[in-house]
Amino acid sequence: MGIGGAAALAGCSGGGSEATETGTATETDGDALGTETDTPTPRSDLPEVGGTYTSVISSPIETLNGIYNTENTAAGAIAQTLLTTYGFKPGTRYLGQAWESLETDDGGKVWVASVRDNMKFSDPYGEVTAEDFVYQVQELQQAEWTATSDSDSWGSDTVESIQQTGEYEIQIELPEANLLYPETYDPILYPVPKGLLEPYVNEEDAEGLKQDEELNNLSFTGNLGPYKLEEWNRGNELRFTRNDEFFMREATDEFELFEKAPYFDTYRLRVVEEQSSRLGALETGDTDYAAIPPNRVSKFRDLDSVNVEIIPQPYNVPLVYNMRANGWNTGPGNLFRKRKFRRALGCAVDKKRLVKGVYRGLAEPEYTWQPRWSKWYPEEPVAEFGNPDGDLYGKEATQSRIKEAIADTDYAYQGDTLVNPEGDQVSLNLFHSAGQNTEKATAEFVAQEFSKNAGIDVRVEAIQGAQFANKYWQQEIPDNADSLEWSNGNYNAGPRTKATSQNGWDMSLVYGLNTYPLNPTTGSVFFIKDSFYNPYGYYPSWNAKELFNQASTASSEEELKSTLAEIFTKIAEDQPMGMLAFTPDQSGYSSDIVGPAENFFNGWNGDAWYREE
Amino acid sequence: MGMGWYVTRRVAWAFFVTFIIVSITWGLLAAAPNPEVRAASTQAALEGGNPNEAREDARQRLGLDRPPWVRYVDYVSSIYTLQWGWSDTRSQPVTEAILNALFYTAQYSIPWTLLTILIGPVVGLYSAANQYSWRDHLATGFAFFGYAIPNFFFGIILLLVFGVELEWIPIIYDTDVAVFSWDNFVQLVVPVFVLVTGSIGGLMRVSRNEAAEYVNADFVKTARAKGVSIYRIYFRHVLRPTLVPVSTTLVGYLLYLFTGASLLVEVVFGIPGLGRLLFSALIAQDTNVVLGSTLFFTFVATVGNLLQDLVYTVLDPRIDFSDR
Repeated sequence: MGIGGAAALAGCSGGGSEATETGTATETDGDALGTETDTPTPRSDLPEVGGTYTSVISSPIETLNGIYNTENTAAGAIAQTLLTTYGFKPGTRYLGQAWESLETDDGGKVWVASVRDNMKFSDPYGEVTAEDFVYQVQELQQAEWTATSDSDSWGSDTVESIQQTGEYEIQIELPEANLLYPETYDPILYPVPKGLLEPYVNEEDAEGLKQDEELNNLSFTGNLGPYKLEEWNRGNELRFTRNDEFFMREATDEFELFEKAPYFDTYRLRVVEEQSSRLGALETGDTDYAAIPPNRVSKFRDLDSVNVEIIPQPYNVPLVYNMRANGWNTGPGNLFRKRKFRRALGCAVDKKRLVKGVYRGLAEPEYTWQPRWSKWYPEEPVAEFGNPDGDLYGKEATQSRIKEAIADTDYAYQGDTLVNPEGDQVSLNLFHSAGQNTEKATAEFVAQEFSKNAGIDVRVEAIQGAQFANKYWQQEIPDNADSLEWSNGNYNAGPRTKATSQNGWDMSLVYGLNTYPLNPTTGSVFFIKDSFYNPYGYYPSWNAKELFNQASTASSEEELKSTLAEIFTKIAEDQPMGMLAFTPDQSGYSSDIVGPAENFFNGWNGDAWYREE
Repeated sequence: MGMGWYVTRRVAWAFFVTFIIVSITWGLLAAAPNPEVRAASTQAALEGGNPNEAREDARQRLGLDRPPWVRYVDYVSSIYTLQWGWSDTRSQPVTEAILNALFYTAQYSIPWTLLTILIGPVVGLYSAANQYSWRDHLATGFAFFGYAIPNFFFGIILLLVFGVELEWIPIIYDTDVAVFSWDNFVQLVVPVFVLVTGSIGGLMRVSRNEAAEYVNADFVKTARAKGVSIYRIYFRHVLRPTLVPVSTTLVGYLLYLFTGASLLVEVVFGIPGLGRLLFSALIAQDTNVVLGSTLFFTFVATVGNLLQDLVYTVLDPRIDFSDR
């Protein structure tokens, strides 16, 4: 519960993060979203409280200030002391946290949230009421003087109005009806006292708010989380102690074991950067949780002391082509912009062999922007580029399409080698995250396949995530931003011929992108040319904006399903990027921990997990 | 003019040097684009506002529209009053971040340094005394093994053997244990061992070569003839002259007492020290922490130079700075 929270657009692929809201593709095929019975076996008595639960993460947490945090791992830490408004439980059922319910009775235009009446902040802020949420949205999330991590969720494009309609009641009106509004994750908020925010709002002091001691130390959180933060030792550990007054104890209608939750006296979240140390700690019992890389899964499965859970998650492994002016640095033009060429590259990589070889069979090949277990996956077959069992894979399939694509250019084939107008072999660079071995193996596999089937040389290069983000992924805002057709921030600073990042690049595997299986309309930003997230400069050759708009405003589930099916069919055909695989999280838990489940919502009831004696 | 005057002048010089470095850093920073200004214009563009206007507002808010000399004075006074700014990647003041990291670095770097400067010359002396014997070869082999094997690799191997297989040491570094406790000793023994084996090689070889010159010197033969004990000969008559050329390296190591952070060992053993602090800040472009750490190391290096010169006079009375 609360671990997932705000779902980020992009995440570093390769795993290593704290378990989030997730269950498995391979082992619970067809049941990855869980069912209503996905709960631990009911007990006649409640578990004993005591002991310590320890978890390890691979990188330090930068901030615990929920207003500005954008990291999933930090969100997991914050959730130990401060629950958000709501979550989901198996079967995609609404889990009421700070907002007991969020309902509509007019087809999704107006939503009414009920705030629980047993929540309180630490002194001197008193009770949590609807006013705290409404004030936060109106004065902070919608303000222009600061950019919070949830600004986009509360802007005028997303919300028409929000108002308090009772002490514990909030009414949200949307610009267009949206039946899946909760599934967009937009209404997720942390409760923050109005009294704490007011001085900063009055002064429009963004830096002060960012550095506020109470926000950074989570000392205002009263009974709003299962634990209280005792100590945050930067770069090493966060230690939490049990909160006896946790408000969800009264929510036994959601889950009966909440009655005495949490069941540990102490929760320790430890930072261990070295992977072998994390795995060693899991093996010796020094931690109760660690992420396991695919090549070590079988070893840990053989251990009695560890349970390995294969948990589906929403991020894919896309091979991103840079279609902006500083992409395709091997010769004139940019062949990535040609649909035919992208489809040809789609035929170059054997996705089934990739999944079997690199991911040890634990992943699933990706042919369109949705995992197969999603209820929105099209029922009709989609084009399966890179499936060796069809005619969309191999040298012939790749080269014949490339030849068509380059017919009007000076590029040509010399034997099996694709050469540029100067007669040199086409050579592209491909970035992957430094230190991520699985990602590196994926990059090397892609390089081999491109060389074998397309006659293209690929240079695999490792890069630090932060460096890639700043110098390659984000564009610089042009000086004449006002005069451009659009300029939507660093991730889409303008048309692809005008706005580029600081350094040139050709292809990347650094980021996994979120496919939003609960509500795929949220992912429209990846496919609309003037959206706020288009670092790669993709211009769809299909009516993406119109179709996504149609999906967002669908008046019934049937209409939504058929529109999304059309969208996914178009994406599979247009190949905006090389969609390679869906990789689950491989999570290792101590075998005496009761609670983890192999479905997408694993962790929804994490506050009620316990150790079996 | 005595030694006191020399030391006073050197301390003043140290302050001057740091002042120059601080000034150059300010110049470089002032010339570079400010990330906050860039962020403000980005935000404006994102919300359909005017990026140029937002850029000007941000410059005004951050005080970048003031004359350069005003900003310079403000900057220098902040540096010397330890107002080093806020770390965005740690959400705490920079000085607090450095002090916290120093606390953990010191816990392994003090024993590491002391053991290195004690064991290195002694093993070198032992080798010289037993030149070309199997004992010499064993000591040399040990020194070269430690020198050659990468610290992080050796650390991982020892962690796997003693932590995972034998379970004698904890896998994860625990910041909760008391500094002077058995638990802390147990968790630090392997990192310190790895670092000591990695650093004594060079010191040991220099000591061995220097000591070899004196083992058969006339004054040593005289001492032997007078019946002086073998330990006194080696520790008083051979080791002391040996240490004068070695002291350049030795004092360098002494600086490690508090600042000898080893990034790779800190990563492998999960110690939240200075090495990881600086490295993470560089990667994440946390300018304030990078600047703070650099200034801190600058202060230490200038003071270290001074100490090095003074140590010469203690080891060899023939060296005298009092007339300088």
